[in-house]
Amino acid sequence: MVARAWRTPLGDTIDGAMARLYAGERAAMTDPRIGYACTTIAPIRGEPAHSRQARFLGRMGLYGLEVAAEALAASGIAGGPRIGVFCGVGGLRAHWEDMMAAFSNQDDAGERMWERGLKDIHPYWMLRHLSNNVHALASATLKLRGEGATFGGANAGTQAIASASRALADGAIDAALVIAYDSLLEPETLVELGARRSATRVPLDRLVAPYASDAAGFVPGEAAGAIVLVREAEAPLAWLDARDAAGDADTLARCAGALAAGATVVAGSGRAWPDLDADERETLAALVGDDATLVAPSAAMGQLGAATGVIQAIVLAEILRGKTLPPIAGLSSPAAGPLRPVIRTSSTEARIALGVHVTDPGLASAIRVSV
Amino acid sequence: MTVVITGVGAVSAFGLGAGALFAGLAAGRSGISRIRSFDASTFPTRVAGEVPVVDADAAWLASMIGDVPLEPGMLRDRKIGWGLVAADEAWRMAGCGAGERGAALVVALGLEQAFLEDLVPIFDPVARTIAWDRATPDLVFRTPVDRCARAIHAHLDLRGPMVVNASACAAGALAVAHAASLIERGAADVVVCGGADAMVNPLGLGGMCRLGAPSPRDALDACRPFDRRRDGLVIGEGAAMFVVERADRARARGARPLATILGWGSTQDGYRATAPRPDGAAAQRAMARAIARSGLPVDAIGYINAHGTGTPLNDPAEARAIRGVFGAHPVAVSSIKGAVGHLMAAAGAIELAASLLAFERDLLPGTANLEERDPECDLDVIGPAPRAARVDAVLSNSFGFGGQNASLVIARPA
Repeated sequence: MVARAWRTPLGDTIDGAMARLYAGERAAMTDPRIGYACTTIAPIRGEPAHSRQARFLGRMGLYGLEVAAEALAASGIAGGPRIGVFCGVGGLRAHWEDMMAAFSNQDDAGERMWERGLKDIHPYWMLRHLSNNVHALASATLKLRGEGATFGGANAGTQAIASASRALADGAIDAALVIAYDSLLEPETLVELGARRSATRVPLDRLVAPYASDAAGFVPGEAAGAIVLVREAEAPLAWLDARDAAGDADTLARCAGALAAGATVVAGSGRAWPDLDADERETLAALVGDDATLVAPSAAMGQLGAATGVIQAIVLAEILRGKTLPPIAGLSSPAAGPLRPVIRTSSTEARIALGVHVTDPGLASAIRVSV
Repeated sequence: MTVVITGVGAVSAFGLGAGALFAGLAAGRSGISRIRSFDASTFPTRVAGEVPVVDADAAWLASMIGDVPLEPGMLRDRKIGWGLVAADEAWRMAGCGAGERGAALVVALGLEQAFLEDLVPIFDPVARTIAWDRATPDLVFRTPVDRCARAIHAHLDLRGPMVVNASACAAGALAVAHAASLIERGAADVVVCGGADAMVNPLGLGGMCRLGAPSPRDALDACRPFDRRRDGLVIGEGAAMFVVERADRARARGARPLATILGWGSTQDGYRATAPRPDGAAAQRAMARAIARSGLPVDAIGYINAHGTGTPLNDPAEARAIRGVFGAHPVAVSSIKGAVGHLMAAAGAIELAASLLAFERDLLPGTANLEERDPECDLDVIGPAPRAARVDAVLSNSFGFGGQNASLVIARPA
């Protein structure tokens, strides 16, 4: 990894957000919108910069494009036919705010829908809804003409890293820009998370950190991240690999097991339900040993959906390079169990870290970062 | 390492099953029809490559492949049913069983299906907003992007990794390339792969109509790839799924290879989000990479299943790209989109399935509705009727919106 950029609930710059992470801050806030079961959220503050690409992209897509340009510029790599682009997006959602014209005169029978409003949606509505629009615009604006693909779903960011790694290893490209973005704060997502009771429904002043015995759900968040990867021989800073699978604790064991050797720091999922957290700690301890250190960026930033793999990669690389472990934000008294949850900032000599991400429907993904 | 296809399943405008796809193409028929699954009477486009199943509900699915546990309402997203049926067929054809449960799954999928009708009851016409606080648990706003993949994973009781490729119209081909790559690198022994998509619904059709992508002609021959009078695509729906595995493994368990996957290549145009690169240079590189990876000389390719959307911009750009790779070497080219429509994320998968006709029946699919080839598309384009020919290697192109290019090379199994 030779360059990185992000927009997170903790801040827009790597140094700024890492400083808040090391300080144990939480980005959670009370949702100013009303009517949702989940009222505690972790949004990116502010708005994306003005862009003519807003014709084609929603807010998170614009963040994705911003970090893509920033990371590539920081890498000093110009575009070209040997530079690939790999994207991970959590959902391919319908952008309701762009669809009000379609609803104006619909009836419950679903008849004559075109005449009753669909004819009035913006001609670019479909482009804003396109699965690979960030990919396409990153490719066009940054002149990235090598291999590439866009992945979807909760583990899409990790898939993008894995696919980029494979293309680099194959020699098909010389460098890869990996972009991932997701938001769990869109209205329908909050409705679903509230109904499933996976996200916390407690107010901000009663929020409990993951890995505490009385945790009651995660904070939904959002983020965009981009990293530039090159083959190890050219920049031996960090190497990432990934596997993923569908399933449960056994699945986590299988997908993380292939990557766990030598890891002494683990970034956990931090799903913030005591039984899920306990299962995860047991599973990971079997792979990396009881004494491995447990961190949880999600405690500070919220759950980041498809962006998790890329954000974890950046955080873990920063931790290993900076030799400093951030505390699990808000955690003072961890539940009993294996692994050592970090409750105050401390130093580390670790060289290898493992990041895992287990999502509600039962998907698991893992990345390995070393310096 | 040799990677082979040992099973194929398909759902298309020709009906359910790879056999229906092969039969339709072999007869030179078109599956394009009037839309029946919803009231499209007031839409500018009223024809599509619609799968001839009006009520793709739980009872229908159970009759096809047995009970599949799904949340209520999910089958309204028709691609979930199409993907399940195609995957089940491929799995059975390949003779897979307990020994293949560790298979990985790589599926190309399109957009989350939004259900306009479930939003209507909570639309606030005064504030012109959705009143989300009035949402009740029985309303289904959308299907999660990976719902089809998770359903297939559960139905086949797979234990391996699951990947969802969302690279628009190149996704299906990229999913197959991803699968072959996993096997070649030793990361998987068996992979179930392919694509499923269904945009023949009010939002999908409405959005595409507003974008101006479909042919404006309300006629069953609306999509005419490579024709001088082509004026747009016809939307299709369906799925194609494959079982791919190591050749030695397939041989050891007695599975019959349908084709060998020899090469793949992918590039980006880096040009515009809304149009392909007119000179076809990036598409040309994708084809060249796929052929180079296959180890075959260019003149070994006997047939190209083109992306061939029937849009004014795609077809001449693709023709330039093909000429750039093949030069004066004559190679037969066709597009099946006039017959089954554009299956979007599943296009690359259904077109790879169609390409198997070349090995299964020594027939090259025709180009439905081609009457007068555009001089700008100076290729040996097969007309509406299939062409009898024995070819040993096929190139299949898929070019995604926004300039994502993918090419696959398959060969007749040894």
